[in-house]
Amino acid sequence: MNPGLRASASGMQAQQLRIDTIANNLANVSTTGFKRSRASFEDMLYETLQGARSVDYQGTQTLAPVQIGRGVRLAAIDRVHSQGTIETTNRPLDLAVEGDGFFQIQMPDGTTAYTRDGNFHLSDNGTLVTNAGYEVMPAVTVPADATNFSVSPTGIVTVNVGNNSAPQEIGQLELARFANPSGLMSLGGNLFGASANSGDAMTGQPNQNGFGQVVQNALESSNVEIVQEMVDMITAQRAYEVNSKAIKTADDMISTVTNELIR
Amino acid sequence: MTLHGILNAAQGMQYFQRRVETTSSNLANLESDGFKSDLITASLRAGTMMPEAVSTIDLSQGTLNRTGRTLDMALEGPGFFTLGTKTGERLTRRGSMELDGLNRLSDGHGNLYLGEKGPITLPSDHAVIEIAPDGTVSADGQEIDKLRLATVPDTSTLSKEGEGRFVAGGKVEPMSADLAPVRQGAVEESNMNVMTGTIDLVMIQRAYASNVEALKAMDSVLGSVVNEVGKV
Repeated sequence: MNPGLRASASGMQAQQLRIDTIANNLANVSTTGFKRSRASFEDMLYETLQGARSVDYQGTQTLAPVQIGRGVRLAAIDRVHSQGTIETTNRPLDLAVEGDGFFQIQMPDGTTAYTRDGNFHLSDNGTLVTNAGYEVMPAVTVPADATNFSVSPTGIVTVNVGNNSAPQEIGQLELARFANPSGLMSLGGNLFGASANSGDAMTGQPNQNGFGQVVQNALESSNVEIVQEMVDMITAQRAYEVNSKAIKTADDMISTVTNELIR
Repeated sequence: MTLHGILNAAQGMQYFQRRVETTSSNLANLESDGFKSDLITASLRAGTMMPEAVSTIDLSQGTLNRTGRTLDMALEGPGFFTLGTKTGERLTRRGSMELDGLNRLSDGHGNLYLGEKGPITLPSDHAVIEIAPDGTVSADGQEIDKLRLATVPDTSTLSKEGEGRFVAGGKVEPMSADLAPVRQGAVEESNMNVMTGTIDLVMIQRAYASNVEALKAMDSVLGSVVNEVGKV
């Protein structure tokens, strides 16, 4: 009956979506390598009403079309891939990327997933795996009697084998970069997958050609900033409130007509 | 005479109805990036004393919000980005870009951001995308194209298409980025002011109720005339 009611309802729905996004961000404030999401909105199609001729203060007559908006809709939920703080953990198998680039993970179905979560472990065969058991690509296998697992900022993995005091190179880690990292699909478990929107993966060695460096004994924290999310939550709540006020006003106007005019 | 007065009051009610619809739509878009709020003002309908709604778009600058996303951009000044769509060229202030299947800069709805040379395609083997304040898009330091900015001399010819797009009914002129530097990693927030919207809602409701009262009064007078006068 009143298009304004639908527009306000869409506004309330939009703020609800914002709160959902903020809630997910806050839930993941401690998740290693988590990247916060941001909902973005846009206006909906307009209805153009052709008004009658109107006269302005100078006396000129013009045709007066009026455009009535129909509300708001969700445009996209983007991931913001800003750097999270690097926190030292003193665990040799913890790796973090400082700069651009994702670790590459081999999934059981043959596809490659990407992650910033460097909380790695050794499988029974000594290969470097994620905490879900997926292998890191290119594969790194640590011999049974190796000590002093060490990763350089350029991704070179060395260990000390047996009584040999000289470190032996056992592998080279490679990172992957994307033209549009916020276009990556979230696969859950801190993993991302490539999509048409993200562009193809470009692989390379850490600490050169724009790739970030690998930091050992550290993990990258979530890039969610609590203050930012709280401020967003407050604005979403107030916007929700003001949209409900608009519904109330439109409703009051309708009831003025239906209750007072009609005898 | 009162019949004419009733028509006048009804026209007034319809005008305030338009006002509340527009305010509702503006308030729904408080968080829409690149949104420009609609203003409704009243003009006299030609030859009468009745109000006619006239809509204009408030093109004032919205605040820039840093998101840190590589493919977000905003204009710090007047003017628009140019979009190529299936139905012709459109203008927009929304700068939240996505990559389409052919690695071109798009708005996520199949419309492409246009540079001086046409749609902007990013090479698939480069990763660091930079948009300079003068609109130059480069990948890993190599220049690809320059964003085509436009300005409309007569802003009353602009109308909205939805999804952040404007249609120019009149002349569109190219604009230099000196007037509006392009800021990468930021979006332009809606320019709708929640204070104005809330106050408008109160005012509109009161004005509408007053028009209803006027209508009721005239109806009652007419009722008396029709039913009481001439009663023997």
